[in-house]
Amino acid sequence: MNADALEVRQSSASVWGSKTELRNLKVVSKLIDTSTCIGCKACEVACQEWNDLHIVPTTQTGTYQTMPGLDANYWNLIQFREQEIGPDFAWLLRKDGCMHCGDPGCLKACPAPGAIVQYQNGIVDVNSDACIGCRMCETGCPFDIPRYSEQTGKMSKCTLCVDRGQVGLEPACVKSCPTGCLEFGDKTELVARANVRVEQLKQNGFAKAALYDPPGVGGTTVITILAHGDHPEWYGLPKDPQVPTGVRFWKSVLRPLGALAIAASLFTMVGHYLAMGPKKPKDGAEKPQGEGRP
Amino acid sequence: MRQLAIPDRTARGGMGDPATARARRTDDVVVGDDIVRERLSARVVHWTVALTFFVCLFTGLPIWTPYLGFLGSLFGGLHVCRVLHPWSGIAFAAASVLMFVQWVSQMKLTPADREFLTPGGLLRYFQYRNDDAEVGKYNGGQKLLFWAAALGTAGLLVSGVVMWLPQPVFGQWLREASYLVHDAAFSLFFAMIIGHIYLGTAAEPGTFRSMIRGTVTKSWARLHHPRWYREVTGEEPRR
Repeated sequence: MNADALEVRQSSASVWGSKTELRNLKVVSKLIDTSTCIGCKACEVACQEWNDLHIVPTTQTGTYQTMPGLDANYWNLIQFREQEIGPDFAWLLRKDGCMHCGDPGCLKACPAPGAIVQYQNGIVDVNSDACIGCRMCETGCPFDIPRYSEQTGKMSKCTLCVDRGQVGLEPACVKSCPTGCLEFGDKTELVARANVRVEQLKQNGFAKAALYDPPGVGGTTVITILAHGDHPEWYGLPKDPQVPTGVRFWKSVLRPLGALAIAASLFTMVGHYLAMGPKKPKDGAEKPQGEGRP
Repeated sequence: MRQLAIPDRTARGGMGDPATARARRTDDVVVGDDIVRERLSARVVHWTVALTFFVCLFTGLPIWTPYLGFLGSLFGGLHVCRVLHPWSGIAFAAASVLMFVQWVSQMKLTPADREFLTPGGLLRYFQYRNDDAEVGKYNGGQKLLFWAAALGTAGLLVSGVVMWLPQPVFGQWLREASYLVHDAAFSLFFAMIIGHIYLGTAAEPGTFRSMIRGTVTKSWARLHHPRWYREVTGEEPRR
């Protein structure tokens, strides 16, 4: 990967429409294999270190989980979930963080030009200079990822280490993973590799194993292997994530209709004046209205 | 007939006259050839609402669409708009409450107003073919504006507060609904205000001064609000 990766494919609040693509460049991906994650949290530490994020006070919730949820200063969190499956019990670990959607709801909802961009390689990034901290991306995101920072007044989330990728390095979390459950590379290659692993899981008693790459949001750059692929909600993932209907309707129907109503009002009033002119007394004996100083 | 003892304001030194200034603090009184239509307090409240509305409008439009992004520069950029907009919204809503209290007792729709507000009635009004004989101080359209503004402001305030606070406070569903309500209410409100400004200035000369200095001419009152004219002056308007 090189600087080509920083060419922008989509930008928030763009007047050219969403796509500004010139060339088809390689789309990257991060593969998370939840079945080989041991919950060591090396990725959490690496993320905090590389991105110079502050230490965040946490609350003990009775699990191994570092934080109750993601934070403006905590972009990468291993969720420790306990799930009863019939008589059995599963301890499900999943790395939570931005999924870098193909059709990002955050970008769709964002009103600040260029504050959220999707690069040609698929990474979705918040451009802090342009972000106005309006929090609309919170509503656009089907995965509950963007967090508002009280320190900066702006939104923050995983960048998929776009700064490392530019110089040919893999993301910090991937670099630190000791079991190899995190991989980074070309999406087509990783999907092929993930499908092999899903087959393996199926042969090993996880008949419903699947790769989580939800089509409702145009696929995701971060793809996840789930041993219980028929129940993504057990891992804290939505079953069929979509860009929220309200957000889509708002931007593509309601806003143009509103603009039309405003323009119609303006043109009607101008037309009325040209056709009718001002309203004056009928007899014409009076002085024109409103003459003289009030 | 409520006639203040100022037979000719021009002869008495016009605008600087303290008696005239006093008269302008009361409404529905005759001052020379003029009638005071909106007293001082009503005008102050109206312009407070208008001013806060325009701050809301010009800080909101660049957030609404990037095509109007240049308006953000009026305040120092989109970041400033984002901070100013919710607070000016609170000020606008507060001023609107005052305006509501001030005018609500005069805004009850009469049967004549309902007739005015039918499509045929509105068409006749815009074609200047309407029979205004029974129009009091406010016509049906003005009363509609009042109620629509009250409803719209309530919608804008409630949805605006939901949008302002963090998503976990009200949740995903209410957030989505609020964007839709805020957008729809704003669009209709602004479309309506364009009509309001037009009718109060270019379309009906002599109206704007009623909100500036408070007075209208007798002939203006006879033309637009004959029943109000009768009530204030006791005269039968010449038809």
